This record gives sequence, C-alpha cells and structure tokens, in this order.
Amino acid sequence: MEFLYFDAGLGAMLAQAAVAVVAGVAVFYKSIKYKIKTIFGLHKESSEEVFDDIDVDDKSLKKPSKNDQ
Amino acid sequence: MTNNSRHASSYRDPSGHVYVENGIIKRVIFSTYFSQYKALQNTGFFQKAFQHQLLIPHEELKVSETEIHIQPTQIPFITYPYEWSFQQYKEAALLTLKLQKYALQHGFSLKDATAYNVAFFHGKAIFIDTLSLDFYKENTPWRAYKQFITHFLGPLVLAKYHGADFLKTMTSFIDGIPLKLLSSLLPTRTKLNPFLYTNIHLLARYEHKHQEENVEKRKQATLSKKGLFNIIDSLYNYIKKIKLKEQSEWGDYYQKTNYSDTAFQQKSTIINDWIQQLNAKKIIDVGGNDGTFVRQISADITLALVGDIDNNAVNQNYYLVKKNKEAHIIPFTIDLLNPSPAIGFQNTERFSFIKRVANFQPDVTLALALIHHLSLTGNVPFENSAQFFASISNNLLIEFPKRTDSYVQRLLNAKAEFKNHFEHYQIENFEKAYSFYFELVDKRPINDSERVLYLFKKKK
Repeated sequence: MEFLYFDAGLGAMLAQAAVAVVAGVAVFYKSIKYKIKTIFGLHKESSEEVFDDIDVDDKSLKKPSKNDQ
Repeated sequence: MTNNSRHASSYRDPSGHVYVENGIIKRVIFSTYFSQYKALQNTGFFQKAFQHQLLIPHEELKVSETEIHIQPTQIPFITYPYEWSFQQYKEAALLTLKLQKYALQHGFSLKDATAYNVAFFHGKAIFIDTLSLDFYKENTPWRAYKQFITHFLGPLVLAKYHGADFLKTMTSFIDGIPLKLLSSLLPTRTKLNPFLYTNIHLLARYEHKHQEENVEKRKQATLSKKGLFNIIDSLYNYIKKIKLKEQSEWGDYYQKTNYSDTAFQQKSTIINDWIQQLNAKKIIDVGGNDGTFVRQISADITLALVGDIDNNAVNQNYYLVKKNKEAHIIPFTIDLLNPSPAIGFQNTERFSFIKRVANFQPDVTLALALIHHLSLTGNVPFENSAQFFASISNNLLIEFPKRTDSYVQRLLNAKAEFKNHFEHYQIENFEKAYSFYFELVDKRPINDSERVLYLFKKKK
C-alpha cells in the first residue's frame, strides 16, 4: 500500500535518475581515491572526527540475525 | 482520570498518530500500517535499529484488530531544527541517511524525511517517527528525497554560504525551504558543482517544470536500487564534510571572559554549593555558552538544558557532549530576546520555547553573565526580565555584573549619546525589581571581579 499523504513531487521523482548518475560518478571517484590513499598510506583519520561512515555494521550487535545482508 | 489526546503535531500521516496519556507520549497505529509494522517487527528490523541507536525504542502496549498501541522511550526535552547548532543539524541529516540506507538494505524505505523526525537524546541524534518506515518497492525513486533536500541539505548548504544563523529562519518553513527559494539564495557558482547542481538547481527546475502535470506520470519515474544507494551515499559524503565558512569545524572555540582564574574558581564553587543546597536535578542554563559552568557542577544532575545565542558556542558544547559521552546535557541555540515561537497549523504543531520549558519544570534557572545583555543590548527593563525568570522555575541563580564591570562599560559606551538613558542599570534597582517576584536566599560577591551572584526563590 502506498501512502500519498504528502506530495513527493513529480519533478523530484523524475530528477533522481539524473541525480543518481552524477552521484554514481562521485561515489566511484571517492572509493578509488580512498583505495589509492590506503595503498600509499596517505589515509589519515582525523582525531576531531565525530561522525562515522554511513554503513551500519550488524556484526557489532550482540546477536546477529540471519536477515543481515 | 485518563487524559488521552492526540498530539497537535501528529495529523499528517494516516498510518497512526501520537497521543499523550497522563503525560506519557504514546502512538496508535491503524490497520492500514499493520503489514509494515508486523514486517518490521518480525524481520527483527526494529530490534536491530534500536540496538544501533538509529530509531527510538518502543514497547507494544496493546494489540486489537483495528489498533496497535506502542509507547516509545520518553524524551524529556525536544529541541527543534531551528534551535540546533550547525553540527547538530548535520548529525540529524546524517542519521536520517544512515537509517534510510540501513532500511533499504533490509527491504524498507523512509516514506518521509522531515527534520522533525529527529530529536536529541542521550547525547546524540535519534529518529523518533517509527511510522516513517515503509516497504521498499524495487526500481522506485525515494519518495522522501525532496523532503530531505528541503529539510536538510538545503538549510545546511545555505548555512555554509550565509552563516549558521540561517538555520533560525527554519521557523518560517515548517515543510522545509521551498526549492525555488533555495536555488535562488545560493551563489551562482554552486551551479558549477555537479553535486549541488543536480541535488538543488536541477531539482528545482524539474519541480517547476512538472508542477502542473498529472501525478499519475509519477509511475514513469524509475530508479535502480544501485542508483538510490549512490544518491544516499553521495548525500552522506557531502554533508559529512560540509563546513561553515565562518568557523573552523569544532574544537577551537574560545570562551572570552573578563575575569581571573580565582574569580572563575570562586564562581564555580558558589554555583556548586547552591545547586547542592537546592538538590536540583533538572537545570536550565539560558546563557550557557559552551556549557563550561554546567560541567563544573559536581552534584548529580538528571538533565541540564544549556542554551546560548551563539551557534558556535552551542557547537562547541555539543562537541564536548559527544567527546565526553555526556548523556545529561542538551545544548541548543536560543535568542532570549526572541525565543522560538509556536508554529504550524493553529500555532500548535511545534510548541514555543517558553511552553516547552514550562512543561519541563526545571528546578533552577541559571542566568550567568546574561542580565547585562538583556538589559543593555535588549533594553529589557529589570521588571520584565524578573517576570520572565519567575515564569520558568522556582529558583533562580543569577549573576549581576555591576556598572563598573568592563563588559558593562563596553555595552554602555556603545550607546554613545544615549548612554545616560541607561542610568537605571544599578545593582540597587536590580535588587528592588527582582524582590517583587523573588525572595533573596543568598548573595555573594565574586572576589577579584565586578560581579555578584544571587540565589533567588520565587515568591508564592
């Protein structure tokens, strides 16, 4: 069942195809940059960093579930 | 007697709504949302999201054929997006993306992404709208994408270019900043940035172009899951790195004071003694800067709300909260001369700052190095500030910088030819005005300074 209780915006729905292409390039570039930096040992973790990465690791849970990807 | 009333902010989503019963926030879920709710529960998604501290935990209260009632963990004080510091705003945005990615990996998706879905609790941002999770349908774009841009990315990018004070304007945009306005407020050069061009300018153009068209066409919009992950990852990467032009990230905010170490120590000791004497558990510090004095309190406090007008000071306070893992401090920005109003439909969706503080019922209000700003910068008469403080709590711990204090002198000199209009700024007048609302409990001058600390108790 789909809820239409607020306007998602037709333009916003259509625009995401274009947004995703540019985002794909940026994400790909970032991963390459990260790999190169890691290979040459240039990757620095800032001690001031407060925010972690987007990925949530289910292994950190006490009882991992089978549903994990 | 049971007092069961629907929360005024909770009418937009037909899946259910929030209500208040005997002062406890609860949520009713209707049958239209049962399949989602059960799937989230049976797959273990809820439990995992709770453990990862992405979503506010809840307990099931009762289940019938037509309704399910749940009770979420209670949040003692809600701050709104226009009261967040830049870094808090960032964290709320990142949390939303993190939850969205985690949900997608488990076959769900956020159906809305407003900034009001996030609250600050135990020193971190947490998603509080349980019913925002819906099934993910393969090859569909993110229906909350536009909301995410207008509620999160837009305000953050505008703050980057125009300063963190921009975030305060979000009181005017309860549904997020309109895309056309957002696009027009950004410098033209942002059109050369592929990320900002696509996520803001192009989006605004698409929205404008398609606004008259039939919504049925929406079915034509498709997007692979990979594409969706790319959008979410790139938003996360950009927001994580976004910085204010006016500030060098966190950490080096300097608290300017005009008193010596001895005075500082004595001031901390007096505050500490009085807090212990009052056995205060809930505190509000309305001019708390970066939380320095609240951190000096050694007594056991349940919760300290620490507000300041300076977004940078609040950022620094929040940084310390995270670094020291302090669960009992909630930093927020507040301009006491213009505190957050009640907004939304019938002015009841989001409560005013004053109303929220009244509900919170702090044991004591701290007003340190503040009265000269209220009286001399804001021209607020002593009678009015006394009345204001008396409306917040029964006890008031207030610092009065005398006319001879260098900060007071500076504020008075800034008045130039109107300086003599401020002759009333005298300690005797202050005491007299405050005695109308308060009884004096204790009064101690701070050595090596031109300041006096007062402990007042509200008159019955």
